[in-house]
Amino acid sequence: MESFAHILHPTPATLWMIVKVLLVFGGPLTIASLLTWGERRGAAMIQDRIGPNRAALFGRWPLLGLPQIVADGIKSFLKEDLVPPHTAGLLFWLAPMFAFIPAVMGFAVIPFGRSFTLGGADYHMSLLDPGNGMGMLYPMAIGAVAVYGILTAAWSSNNKWSILGGMRVSAQMVSYELAMGLAVTAVFMRTGGYDPHEIVAAQAGLWNVVPQFLGFIVFTSCMFAETNRLPFDFAEGESEIVAGYLTEYGSMKFALMYLSDYIHIVTASALVVTLYLGGWQVPFVAAPGTLLSVASFLGKLLFICWLFIWVRWTLPRFRYDQLMGLGWKVMLPLALANLMLHAWWMHRAVMG
Amino acid sequence: MAVVTRQVELNWLDRTYLWPVLKGMVITIRHFFRQLGTPSRKRFTLQYPDMKREMPAGYRGLHELKRSEDGAVKCVACFMCAEACPARCITIEAEEFSDLALTQGFEEKRPRIFQIDMLRCIYCGFCEEACPKDAIWLRKDYELGAFDRQDLRFGKWDLMNTYARQDGKPEIISDPKPAVPHVPVGVQEGPCS
Repeated sequence: MESFAHILHPTPATLWMIVKVLLVFGGPLTIASLLTWGERRGAAMIQDRIGPNRAALFGRWPLLGLPQIVADGIKSFLKEDLVPPHTAGLLFWLAPMFAFIPAVMGFAVIPFGRSFTLGGADYHMSLLDPGNGMGMLYPMAIGAVAVYGILTAAWSSNNKWSILGGMRVSAQMVSYELAMGLAVTAVFMRTGGYDPHEIVAAQAGLWNVVPQFLGFIVFTSCMFAETNRLPFDFAEGESEIVAGYLTEYGSMKFALMYLSDYIHIVTASALVVTLYLGGWQVPFVAAPGTLLSVASFLGKLLFICWLFIWVRWTLPRFRYDQLMGLGWKVMLPLALANLMLHAWWMHRAVMG
Repeated sequence: MAVVTRQVELNWLDRTYLWPVLKGMVITIRHFFRQLGTPSRKRFTLQYPDMKREMPAGYRGLHELKRSEDGAVKCVACFMCAEACPARCITIEAEEFSDLALTQGFEEKRPRIFQIDMLRCIYCGFCEEACPKDAIWLRKDYELGAFDRQDLRFGKWDLMNTYARQDGKPEIISDPKPAVPHVPVGVQEGPCS
């Protein structure tokens, strides 16, 4: 009963928690849906096209095509929810949720602003307060779980294309997670801890991207692979396996899968920003205000999101064996070299 | 047939893969900003319902049955177009009329029914070439759509009005009544004799 009383008489801490939940849940969702617009318009601009600009609010204000998001949402809700008869019933229904939930969960530990003190209490700008013992291991673990959503979708679709896409993705994700883990280990070593707050604080003055440029390249490439974005998008392939694991999905189930892909991009960008681009740190400002730090984080986040789009429309995709070759023969040695370099560097610093 | 293989020598910078990627990204972002800075009407894309391409000279689009100044059909129902038509989409039924008036061109025949099945027409323009009176033209309209097949069987009045609005001419739905049968001076020995 005490807990219910807690809800009825909210302390500032609980209120702050509610605000944070809304922010951390709504923020990535909003950015993800904006990304679907950004992707289409950005791609159009890169390819000298125009992109979606016909959907208009109340049929009057096109607003650069932004209402397209709303139109797409309404469309996917109202479309017939077609389930092919040969699918594995319950799993087929659950797969979009398996894909969606880890995508949203990953953002929980990312500090999206500088902590501030109000009335003697510390308010931290991340859903889980620092010192929770999970730190950056949590988004990594959640990211690894995300493959189950795709694999479940692929398996339950009972379709050759789906299963081929799912198998390719799982192999790719497992291969690239190795290099990703090693790249991140170097960051943990330099920081002396894996709490994101510590990592961000340690980047004051000099962001990790400078001393660990190699690690940054490896990590970002692995993030492209983790989010199944071009040039590593082996989940789908129109000419080979139709839409991959999405082949049998339609209406809102498809939209959920699609949206979770974009939330993955947001989370991956947040990871890149936190680990390598100084999180909420503002260049040349020693102690930025809370709002400034949030704006800084958001700006960096959006830039990396744009990088995902930008690279997608620049590079052709790899062949599957090239992808595996790159993962095992290039990314893994590079990540190891980065790790060894920093280990040697730290050893030298200690030994003098 | 000889197979030409072109061996590209990559220097160490290109083989890092990172540098060529950056070069490519510079190219794409340059396109991005160039397109962003171009006003909508100067872009290559024609936003179709709002902007339309001017069809080239000699384009063969929707037909028009030409009319003389008072709105009488120029066609004399000679069946040349129907004969020339490879798709056999023209149906003509001729009728006689005897009220000779100048504006009707002293003709004695005109189509009572002139029908083109637009779904069968292949827009080859043979009818246009065959017409001795220059009465049927294939012009530049290409927006032809209907909800019903029957709506695409264009009758005589449909065909005479296809370009009426575009040319600023009134739409006509019946043959004009011959004006007071007046015979101008000097044409008594004209075509009638």
